Amino acid sequence: MKKHIYKAFAKKLFGARYERLGKTVFTEIILFYSLHITGLQVRIAPSVLYVMTTVFTAGIMWQALSSSDHAGQLKHMLMLPFVGKEFISGYVGMLGIYTLITKTTMLWSAVFAVSDRNLPELIVSVLCALNGVFLPSLIFVLLRNMDAYRFFLPLHRVFAKPFYMGQSSGRQSPWQTVHAARLTPQKSGCAYMWKYFFRYLTAHKNYLVNTAAMCGIACVLPLLFGNTEPGFILPIGLGILSMNTPLCTLLSCDPSLNQAVRFLPGQKRLFCVSYCVFIFGVNLSVDIIFLLSLAARLGSLGMDAFLMAVFFALQGAVGSVWLEWSYPIKNWKIESDLWHHPRKYIVPAALVLIAGLLGTVPWFLYILYGILGIEILAVRCSFEG
Amino acid sequence: MNRPPLLSIQNLRAWYRPGKHILTDFSIEINAHEAIGLIGLNGAGKTTFLNLLSGLHPHFHADRILVDGCESTLRNPDFKLRRYTVFAEDHSFQYFTFWEYLSYVFAAYGQKIPDVSCLVEEFHFGEYTDMLLKDLSMGNQKKAFLITAFALKPELLLLDEPVNGLDFASTEYLYQLIAGYKEHGTVLFSSHILESVTLTSDRVLVLENGKIQKNFEQEEIDTAKIREALHEETHL
Repeated sequence: MKKHIYKAFAKKLFGARYERLGKTVFTEIILFYSLHITGLQVRIAPSVLYVMTTVFTAGIMWQALSSSDHAGQLKHMLMLPFVGKEFISGYVGMLGIYTLITKTTMLWSAVFAVSDRNLPELIVSVLCALNGVFLPSLIFVLLRNMDAYRFFLPLHRVFAKPFYMGQSSGRQSPWQTVHAARLTPQKSGCAYMWKYFFRYLTAHKNYLVNTAAMCGIACVLPLLFGNTEPGFILPIGLGILSMNTPLCTLLSCDPSLNQAVRFLPGQKRLFCVSYCVFIFGVNLSVDIIFLLSLAARLGSLGMDAFLMAVFFALQGAVGSVWLEWSYPIKNWKIESDLWHHPRKYIVPAALVLIAGLLGTVPWFLYILYGILGIEILAVRCSFEG
Repeated sequence: MNRPPLLSIQNLRAWYRPGKHILTDFSIEINAHEAIGLIGLNGAGKTTFLNLLSGLHPHFHADRILVDGCESTLRNPDFKLRRYTVFAEDHSFQYFTFWEYLSYVFAAYGQKIPDVSCLVEEFHFGEYTDMLLKDLSMGNQKKAFLITAFALKPELLLLDEPVNGLDFASTEYLYQLIAGYKEHGTVLFSSHILESVTLTSDRVLVLENGKIQKNFEQEEIDTAKIREALHEETHL
């Protein structure tokens, strides 16, 4: 029975013919050799390697365990006459193997390509990775008192419900609502969509934590740059702060929503514009925190700094929404795959490159504004076409 | 002069993997103001066909697609504005309440929200209109989408297994709505329940291996005959 449980989870995570294994190994070999042939060498202390391996693996493992992507299916599987311990160990074990093979080894292929390691260090790294799998699993199970049903239910379902129940309490009756709607002017679709995004953001703690972390980084970033040239700190800082990438995967992580916005009419305008404005708003809020922190350190900042922040926030939003609409990430197995998909980093990487350019040629910002204007017009035309 | 069909599709082929057709040699004419029931075994192609009409199935080829007699595509923005689909399983917009979903859909179609109190009452949905869709049961989520559909009254209403998950009283009411929909437009729906198609349809199409095996016109619709056609299919 145990063998069948492992096989079922293995096929679910790695694909029916374990095709994901081959793809991952291939990607790791490419990554290793492409970094290795550059001849780049970085000194990484063994302790840093061990901490990095443990924290990275544990973080991914915790995220995979607490995500809701498999909760429904797993709940239904509990109907079958599985032995509870075998089922739990099968699921956690396979999730651990998946994390080690697809995530931790990816990190190692990058690290080992640029720093030489001896055998004892490799062995300790493997032990650290195993620790990164076992420790969060153990804590996760202990926190849920080994109760199999609750074990698979993500925390947010427990906490989000009272939040929404509280929100809906004290509202007018449906009949009053229906009749009120006929009397009051109808809100625009965008207003509903912003409400939707806000709820989505607050209900998914990963998104919320990531956004809060970006705000924290925005506060301390000017200090981390030390005595770097101020003209360089500003664009690079704004580029780094455009990495609130989970916000840019709304359609990828919700296939039903993706389907709905494609069959309803006018969604390029209604959904995409609202989504773009929402990301712009979040990005700009983080950027303003950064500007305030930078102003506190440097004394004052001119209007150019604010214009630059608007450019980075808007360009990040336009690029992210365009990519999400045109190339949503599909065929992901666990939420973590989505979080670490390279497509997510295309826009931030491009913005960091632009930031490097702006650090050396500041007036280039006005040309970029022109390019951004053309982009928006092109997107608008494509929406109307 | 006769009005051209609302939608005419000739020699449609659809696939998920190249070489393995789900729909093949599939030609259909859908007239304005009729109720068409699709019935067939699992895997016959009902959902694929409805998804295709909803513009969600990218892998297909048709010799001709005519909307009101004019060449068109299934993703044409004008055609999109004329149809609405209720899917067999839909978990979209889970962070909207019913009321917000209704408002959003009407905004998308550029229409004003009508009085939906009768629909809400008949579907026994009154106490759920202020809850988020994610907190509703499968049947109540289905009701939210059905109320939206019948309030919107599109020219072409597509319903994929609409009775699944509905309680008895709501199912009866849905039959009435489907049968009476001709007044507003065309309804095309799939079902595994013979009664639901015989009671409500002007035309019943029996699908088999991605083809229309039989087309029962209004005067020919008979439970025994349709059952026989389905049994033949089972024994093939």
